[in-house]
Amino acid sequence: MPIYAPTLPPAPDLSQGHPPALVLLRFDLARLWRQKIGRFFGFVFTAILLVQTGWIYAKFLMQTNQTLRPLEEYSKGLFAQGADFQASLLNPTMYLLWFLVALVGGGLVARDSLYRVRPLMYAHPVAPKDYLLAKLGFASALPFTILLPFALLPWALSLALAGVHGPVWVTAPLRLLPAMAISSMLMGSLAVGASSLASTPRAGIGWVLGLVLGAGTLTSMLHGLTGLRLFDGLNPVMLAEAWPQLLVGVQHPLVAWGPALLGTAFHIGLWTFVASRRTRPSEAVI
Amino acid sequence: MITFENLEVRYQAAPSPALRGLTLSLERGIVGLLGPNGAGKSTLLKALLGLLKPSGGSGTVLGVALGAPEAAKLRGRIGYMPEYDALIEDTSAYEQVAFWGELSGLAPEAARDRAHEVLYFVGLDESRYRAVSGYSTGMRQRVKLAQALVHSPELIFLDEPTNGLDPDGRRRMLDLVLRVHAELGTGVILASHLLADVERVADQLVILDQGEIKAAGSMAGLRRALARRVELRFLDPLDAAQEPALTELGTVLEARNGLYDLELLEADPSAAFRWAQAHGATLIQVTPRHDRLDEVLLRALHPALPPASPLSQNPAKPDSEPSNSSDGNGH
Repeated sequence: MPIYAPTLPPAPDLSQGHPPALVLLRFDLARLWRQKIGRFFGFVFTAILLVQTGWIYAKFLMQTNQTLRPLEEYSKGLFAQGADFQASLLNPTMYLLWFLVALVGGGLVARDSLYRVRPLMYAHPVAPKDYLLAKLGFASALPFTILLPFALLPWALSLALAGVHGPVWVTAPLRLLPAMAISSMLMGSLAVGASSLASTPRAGIGWVLGLVLGAGTLTSMLHGLTGLRLFDGLNPVMLAEAWPQLLVGVQHPLVAWGPALLGTAFHIGLWTFVASRRTRPSEAVI
Repeated sequence: MITFENLEVRYQAAPSPALRGLTLSLERGIVGLLGPNGAGKSTLLKALLGLLKPSGGSGTVLGVALGAPEAAKLRGRIGYMPEYDALIEDTSAYEQVAFWGELSGLAPEAARDRAHEVLYFVGLDESRYRAVSGYSTGMRQRVKLAQALVHSPELIFLDEPTNGLDPDGRRRMLDLVLRVHAELGTGVILASHLLADVERVADQLVILDQGEIKAAGSMAGLRRALARRVELRFLDPLDAAQEPALTELGTVLEARNGLYDLELLEADPSAAFRWAQAHGATLIQVTPRHDRLDEVLLRALHPALPPASPLSQNPAKPDSEPSNSSDGNGH
């Protein structure tokens, strides 16, 4: 038998709250925290980061230690150097990030559709643009946050060990951070758009992976059939990988500046549009 | 509290409007929105929440015009308990209610405090930390009510709040609805297809069908009308001279084998005895018919049936009798 309170005290001030988009974003973060999917990815990303920082230290040793000098010459033939090396700070994680974004982002909108909470959100002072902003913000901030140590930790280590002459450029973050932001927005918008097409989180994961891999396969086929590299600019995996290279000044073997700009704008625009259409209040069945 | 005039709401793909020509004025209180499934109750609530833009007519909710840019802010003053579950299954009631409180504009700490208070108010304090996926139907309904109350709205919309509840659960939910109005002063719009629920808690009644208002008025007025309903039993059937004279007493609704259903002109059954004495008839039984609220609903929905009560044609006012619109739009 439930025990009821004698009565309800007066309500607190309603003007002290955070913006709705921030509230939604924090709630999604709490949900993600509960899902505990970070264990596997956390382990793998940490391992990659450790290898990268270890490699920075090894490069520093090879530069400064006369006995290891021959090794540096030898490694130049094996590993990326110069601008290529700067871009390679991010690229090993990109492929894995797509899977993480699919796992997390695939359920972002689909979970709300499954539990039918979106109409209830709109029955509060939440505008559709707040909802979309929160979902896109979360899905884009996630890969960006994960990539952040990959850009900053090797840079800081290099700066600490060898000053401005270290293996990582002093200006590398200025180039890598915008690249990360663009790639993260691409991943986030695609994940949210795909998730809005799904009715369950699992289906959302399938939609994201299907769109990413499907678009990749399709563009590769079109490239193969026509011989036009232009089509690779529509491959989301290739685009996310191309931006760090383009911004550090390396020509990507398949995606040039023009197709990269067009392809990224196309994907971000298309999937944001899809998500906004699929999360309108009129879609909210009360 | 709520007024609208010639309100029309049309879904994009639908050939006909979901709500048409609704004209009504509702005072603060508990309003029962009654009608069969598909009558337009939820559409009306959506329109009142500002989720659907009216395609015609005008209206105000708590003084804010429907479709106005301030409608989003208005939703902070309204609580909404949806008909369907709308619960985030993998979270506790406490987390959810705090989340909805924050979405309504409460600061995070205030929302958490408020979530405790409101869950205690609806009788869920013991189980507030459990994931709602393990809740019974009654508990789930109370979580939904709690989220609608967390920000102390001036007005709450309850869409089928007793759905799926057993009789005891229904009674408790309706008691809570009464408390919400009596103790918190919150206006309540209760949409239901269950007459008994509306009859128990509402002080105003709106009957909707096929997107039109079929009848509207105060429950007090309706009860007064019902208080004039009596069944008269005479020893012998009335003769040709006596039967027409019954109109002096009131409106004859039905006559069968010496039994006459009447709507008296005054709520005074003794008038029937005086009439019988005056006309030389032997009246042997007068039965009050106070329990026939269902007839009001049936006749509002099926006007082809003989009239059961004198439903006036005025929009609802606190003490007015229910109005029945022959053209279905309140005029």
